[in-house]
Amino acid sequence: MLFQSLPFLVFFAVVYSGYLLVKGTRLRLPWLLVSSYVFYAWLSPLYLIPLAYATVVDYFVAGRIESSPRKRAWLTLSILNNVLVLGFFKYAGFVAENVNALLSAMKVSYAISPPSFLLPAGLSFFLLQSIGYTIDVYRGTTKREKNFLAYAAFVSFFPRLLAGPIERANHLLPQLHGQGRVTLRDFTDGLSIFVVGYFKKVALADYLAIYVAGVYGSPDQHQAPALLLATLLFAWQIYFDFSGYTDMARGIARMMGIGLMLNFNNPYLAVSMGDFWKRWHISLSSWFRDYVYIPLGGNRKGTFGTYRNLFLTMVLSGLWHGAAWTFVLWGAIHAVGNMATRELERTPFYMKKLPTIVKQLFVFAMVTFAWIFFRAATIGDAWTIVARIFTSGLSDPKCPMLALGLIAAVWVYQYLFESRLRSILEIRPVRIALMILLLTYLVLTVPAEGQPFIYMQF
Amino acid sequence: MTSADQTSDVTPFDCSHALRLPAADWVIVAVAMLAIIGLAPIVWQRYERFEPGDDYRMPYELSSDYWLYSRYSRQACDKRKTLLIGDSVVWGHYVPPNETLSHYLNEFSGRQQFANLGLDGTHPAALEGLLRHYSPSLSGRTVVLHFNPLWMTSVKHDLQTDKEFHFNHPDLVSQFTPKIPCYKAPFAARVRIALKRTIPLANWIAHLRTTYYESSDVQNWTLRHPYNCPLKQLTRGLPESAGVPEPAGGTWVSKGAKKQDVTWVDLDTSLQWKFFRRSIELLRKQGNQVFVLVGPFNEHMLNEADAAAYGAIKTKVAQWFAENKVPYFLPPALPAEHYVDASHPLGEGYALWARELLQDPAFTALIQ
Repeated sequence: MLFQSLPFLVFFAVVYSGYLLVKGTRLRLPWLLVSSYVFYAWLSPLYLIPLAYATVVDYFVAGRIESSPRKRAWLTLSILNNVLVLGFFKYAGFVAENVNALLSAMKVSYAISPPSFLLPAGLSFFLLQSIGYTIDVYRGTTKREKNFLAYAAFVSFFPRLLAGPIERANHLLPQLHGQGRVTLRDFTDGLSIFVVGYFKKVALADYLAIYVAGVYGSPDQHQAPALLLATLLFAWQIYFDFSGYTDMARGIARMMGIGLMLNFNNPYLAVSMGDFWKRWHISLSSWFRDYVYIPLGGNRKGTFGTYRNLFLTMVLSGLWHGAAWTFVLWGAIHAVGNMATRELERTPFYMKKLPTIVKQLFVFAMVTFAWIFFRAATIGDAWTIVARIFTSGLSDPKCPMLALGLIAAVWVYQYLFESRLRSILEIRPVRIALMILLLTYLVLTVPAEGQPFIYMQF
Repeated sequence: MTSADQTSDVTPFDCSHALRLPAADWVIVAVAMLAIIGLAPIVWQRYERFEPGDDYRMPYELSSDYWLYSRYSRQACDKRKTLLIGDSVVWGHYVPPNETLSHYLNEFSGRQQFANLGLDGTHPAALEGLLRHYSPSLSGRTVVLHFNPLWMTSVKHDLQTDKEFHFNHPDLVSQFTPKIPCYKAPFAARVRIALKRTIPLANWIAHLRTTYYESSDVQNWTLRHPYNCPLKQLTRGLPESAGVPEPAGGTWVSKGAKKQDVTWVDLDTSLQWKFFRRSIELLRKQGNQVFVLVGPFNEHMLNEADAAAYGAIKTKVAQWFAENKVPYFLPPALPAEHYVDASHPLGEGYALWARELLQDPAFTALIQ
């Protein structure tokens, strides 16, 4: 069930009406839980199996972590269990494919048959959230949740179930326990956030996707201008797609009086790669920072140790996105870029003399280059694109001016939002006019059928 | 929720944009949007040049523009006494506007009385939807409704197959009940279609897309015309029609006049016949006088057994019309050389059909 679809509209109307009736009663948590499970089962009832399994196991393990003297063993069990579930569904095919390639290279006439089951949507998101919870319980930064319903609702809370944000227990659980107060302001704020997310996804991401898919579908048939523009458009497509989803998720949760964490903060205005990861998919980058990078030693092990930890964390983050070498390479490019800007930030020229806009464009160029590997179907395709950008001739890219105009408009808006001129955007008539403009554009130009979100596949 | 809550601001607005609207502003936005939604089609109707031509025939390319059809229908109801409604046979698929049935009826009767409200591809299941949802002014009128037996020449044409079959005008057919077995659109798509029929803005947007953006949404249109401004497409007049399609490979006779096997559907189980009867009931309920034109089907192309089966169908159809007091005209087949295919006459065929019709006492009584 996609947020931008008619079935979701009906589902949410029913769930929200029921929620307003039961908020403040003991039925609130069961209602949230049932709603979330119905939402997930809509995609496939079988998806409920890994969701329920992860919930039950970590609820039980967290209890052991709290009460048993062998806390570390129980934590290891929880992490292993989640990693195995993730590995089973997400990486089994990847492993089989690589083992087969290795066997073939060694001239061994044996091949493992790759698994044929589907990856449950959002699996990586709720498993990471569950791992984060057991680690927090182990560290004592969060209390074990004794109420099973509350814990199950925390893992499965439907607005964030399919693609995050990856919430922390000490942020979401207390809100689930609360009285479920919903104010008019919650509703209007939620609606404001939702509409902007809807616009990002339907009017922008899905539009840019058509051009990108055409070019990336056959990179060897396109020349430098089209490949460059498709890469630029993909950078914005994935931003609008994922941040649009997050805005919709946050908007829906906010309408229910529940705050989900900010996941995107105008990332293409970042002035360094480190800054980029503080603005892009914040819930994932902070998860990797807290549960991978810092336990590896963080920046406490000297320059080499810091960069090694950074590299491992980024490569792991790449692999989390997808079971393919393209994602591993994407993570590695980000790691190298991160190291490069860290080094640059040590120079007075970069820090004091280089204008902010140049830094922003530099970081944007690096991030956009990395997106080539993220979007390309294979590493071969990615190299073809990179090579052809530099070697192929010039031909008409046939890129819609409207798409470029919309991107420029969004960039200017974000630039203003982070500048001293932000107050202009906050003038009441300006806000109202912008909202009417967004809605009118949506009504008049957007096709009826919505496309799935990119990050749902992860 | 109370208005007092509106002023409290406990939860911070942690967002990467400034579009935070309080309730009062949302009310303003809602009013503005309602005004846009309600007024845009009306204002556009005044702005867009509308020249329906002598016999109100819709341009062929715009056959799926139901908003425009409503406009033609409304104007035809205002200006003409008798409305001819049906599929491409009434529309005049292979003939220019001055060789259609409505044109010859006007010419031979000496009165500008008939309007051509035929729409290409409207089989009875779609025709019912067209009448129900897109013919708002059709009440208290004289309607000549055409029944084309072509839609009963196979289980597939009759929409009875369980296997999915993509037919013309899915947006017009019944979305839920009566159920159409070969129509497999997802539930959400059906709801969307059902809602669209009730929202003038949705139909108007579909009109803009069909008429000005090559039957696609603006975004997809810009991919085909990357450097064109979408707003410049919205010219005041409808685009010029490319005319009528040429018969592929010539007429039925010039192609060798070959007989064809036809598996007639039983009238008692026919879905298309059921929808056709529903159309008659609907028109009558709206206070219209209904006259039914059957055929003229190209019986020359039927083998002996199929011709006999068709004869039985004609008898049953006539019986139903008589029982239900529906005046009708069931002519014999036109001469073979007047057909393009199984059901479409050539210009001479339309002229002959019009002459025969004007000699029918029931018809002449109706149009007086």
